[in-house]
Amino acid sequence: MLAAQIIINALVLGCLYACIAIGFSLVWGVLNVINLIHGSIIVLGAYLAWGAYQSMAISPWYVLPVAVPVFFVFGYLLQRLLLNRVLHAPVLVTLTLTFGLDLILNNAMIYFFKADYRKLTLKPPMGSVSLFHVVVPVDRLIATVLALALTGLLYLLLRHSRIGRAIVAVRLDRDAAILMGVDVRSIYAIAFGIGAALAGCAGVLMALIFPISALTSSSYLDKAFVVCVLGGLGSVSGALAGGLLLALVEGIGSAAIGPAYATTLSFALLIVFLLFRPQGLLGRKGFE
Amino acid sequence: MRDLPCWIAVTIAGSEMGVWMSGSKLIHWSAVLGTAVMAIASWSASGSPVRAEDVIRFGAPLPLTGPLAPEGIKQQQGYDLWAEQANKAGGISVGGKKYKVEIVYADYQSSTPRAVQTTEQMITQDNINFLFGAFGSGAAKAASTVSEKYKVPTIAAAASSSQVYDQGYKYLFGTFTPNDTLTTPLTQIIKSKAPDVKKVAILARNDLFPLAIAQEMEKSAKANGLEVVYFEKYAIGTLDHSAALSQIKSLDPQWIFITGYINDLLLARKQMVDQELKAQVVTMIAGPAYQDFIESAGESAENVTSASWWHPAERYDGKDIFGSTENFVKLFHDKYKSDPDYGQASAAVCGALFQMAIERAGSLDRDKVRDELAKLDVVTFWGPVKFGPNGQINSLEPPVFQIQGSKPVVLFPLAIKQGELKLGVN
Repeated sequence: MLAAQIIINALVLGCLYACIAIGFSLVWGVLNVINLIHGSIIVLGAYLAWGAYQSMAISPWYVLPVAVPVFFVFGYLLQRLLLNRVLHAPVLVTLTLTFGLDLILNNAMIYFFKADYRKLTLKPPMGSVSLFHVVVPVDRLIATVLALALTGLLYLLLRHSRIGRAIVAVRLDRDAAILMGVDVRSIYAIAFGIGAALAGCAGVLMALIFPISALTSSSYLDKAFVVCVLGGLGSVSGALAGGLLLALVEGIGSAAIGPAYATTLSFALLIVFLLFRPQGLLGRKGFE
Repeated sequence: MRDLPCWIAVTIAGSEMGVWMSGSKLIHWSAVLGTAVMAIASWSASGSPVRAEDVIRFGAPLPLTGPLAPEGIKQQQGYDLWAEQANKAGGISVGGKKYKVEIVYADYQSSTPRAVQTTEQMITQDNINFLFGAFGSGAAKAASTVSEKYKVPTIAAAASSSQVYDQGYKYLFGTFTPNDTLTTPLTQIIKSKAPDVKKVAILARNDLFPLAIAQEMEKSAKANGLEVVYFEKYAIGTLDHSAALSQIKSLDPQWIFITGYINDLLLARKQMVDQELKAQVVTMIAGPAYQDFIESAGESAENVTSASWWHPAERYDGKDIFGSTENFVKLFHDKYKSDPDYGQASAAVCGALFQMAIERAGSLDRDKVRDELAKLDVVTFWGPVKFGPNGQINSLEPPVFQIQGSKPVVLFPLAIKQGELKLGVN
C-alpha cells in the first residue's frame, strides 16, 4: 500500500511539475530564450491568488480566468518592448536581460510583500479523498486536473488555431515562416505572453500547495529547467513526460534511499540525459 | 541562478556586447546604465559615514536577501532596537565619556562564503570595533575564523550547535545554549505526560542547525527509552515531503519530530494534513516560535510543540539596558507593533551584553572587552547570562512550548509555566 501511495503522490506532483514547466518550455522552444523570470512570474501568480483570497475571499479557481489575460498582457509587453530588441543577440545577452528582469521583479515582490512565507489556507480546508487506504489531497487533485486542462488547452491552441500553427511554423523554420507572411515579432510576443499566462496560472494553483514567498522562485525555475531537459524541449507532451519522470524519480528515490538524496538523484538523471539523450524523452519537436 | 553576482552578469554581458557590436542603442545604454547602477550600489554598500571619534561601530553581517532573509531581518530589528535604546540613553559610557552606537550592516545574501568575505571587509575596511556573528550555526562558524584571526570580540546571536564553539576560539561568544538543552526537557515532558508514546519518527533538514538538533533529539529519545523508528534528512529547497511522510505514516509513530525553517515546516505540516498523518505529539523546530508560522499554518498549528531559547512570557529582572523582560517586550511592541520572538530578543541582548562589557572594561580595547565578556555573570531580560569556557552561554533554561488556541503556551520551565501539554495533533 505504501508503494501505491508513493506512486500516486508522484503522479500528482508530476502533473504540477508539468504545469510549472510548460510555459518555460514554450518560450525556450519557440523563442530560444531561457527565460529566467519564469520562476518569479509563478510566484507573482501565487501572490495574486493569495491576495484575492485574503482580501475578498475569492478562491484560486476563480482567479484563473483573471490571471490568464493579466499575465498574457504582462508577457506580451515584456517581449514586445524589451526582449524582441535583443532576440538575435548571443544567448548570453537574452539570458542576462531575463536575469536582470528577474532581479527587478523578485526584489519588487520582496519589497511589497516582504520576504516572509505566507500560506493560502482555504476555510474550510478541502480535505483528502481516500481509496483503498491511498490518500490524495483534494486541492492537489483539483490543481492536477486544472494543470492537465491548461496543458491540453495549449496543445489544442497550437494544433488547431491559426496563431498556434504560426507559432509552430516560426518554431520549425523562422525564415520560411517570414516568407509565408507570418509576423514573427508579433508571434514571438504572443508566444511569450502565453508562456507568462501559463506561469501565472501555475502560480495561482501552486498557491494552494506551497508556501508563498519571492524566495521560492528559484526552486520553480530549477524544476522547470530539469523537466524541460528530461521531457524534451518544445512539446506539450514532453513537459508532461518530463514532469512525471522527475516526480517519480524523486518520490521513489526518496523512499528507497532517503529524501536527502532525491534532489541529487534527479540532477544525476539530468546529467545522464544531457550526455546520452540530450533531446529528452520525447525528442525535440516543434510543438505540433 | 540568483547567486550569480550582478557584476559578473554585467561583465559577461559587456564583453558579449563587444563581440556583438553593431547592436542597438538599447544594449549600449543598458550596459552603461547597468555598470553605473552597479558602481553606485557598491559605493553605497561600502560608503559608510566618516568615522567619528565618539562612535562605537558594531559590524552586523546579515542575510538580508535570499532564503534566510526573514531571519536576517528579525535579527536586524533586535540590533536596531538596542542601538536606539542605547543612544536614547546618551550612548555607551566608556571611562566617563559617552559614545554613540552605530551598527554597520552588510547583506551577505544568504551565502555563507559571502558571509566570510563580508566579515573580513567589515574588519579591514569598515573599521568596526566589535562584531555580531552571522546568522545560523553554519555561517557563524565559517565567519568566526575571520574574526578570530583579527581578534575581534564577536557575539553570535543565532548559533547553537556545539561545532561552532568547539574550535578553541577565544573571541567568539554565543547566546544560544547547546541543542540538547532544547530536546532533553522536551523529551522528559513527553515521557511523563504521554506514557503511550513509544515510537518517534525524525525528519530533518540537511543543514547544520536543523540536523544537529535532530541528532540531539535522537540521542535524547534513545536515552529515555523511546524507539526511533525513522530518521531521515531532506535536502535544502525540497518542494515535496509526501514520500517521506507516507513512509512515516506506515510506521505509525506516536511522536513526529521535524526540523527546518518556516517554509519547510509550513510545507511539511500542510502535507501531513493532506496525507491524514496524525500523531499524539508533533514537534517542529524552529518555525512555531515565529508568529508568521502560527498565522500561516492556521488550525494545523494547533497542539504543535516546540522549544526555543527565549519566550516573551519569561519574567526576568535584568541589569541590562532593557531591564525586565516585560519592558523589552513593551519597547519592541511599541517600535514594531508585534511581539518579539527569540531571534529578535537574542540580537537585542547581544548588543546589551556588549554594552555592559564595554562599560565594565572602561575601554574600547578589544582584548579588555573580550575579557569582560568572558567574566560576565549577570541577569538580563533574556535570562541569566554566563558564558562557558568555550564561549557558549551555559546559564539559560530554554522554554518548551505548545501552540494552543493559536498562541504559544509555555510548558517548561516550571517558573514560567502557562499550561499543560495537550495530546493529539490532527
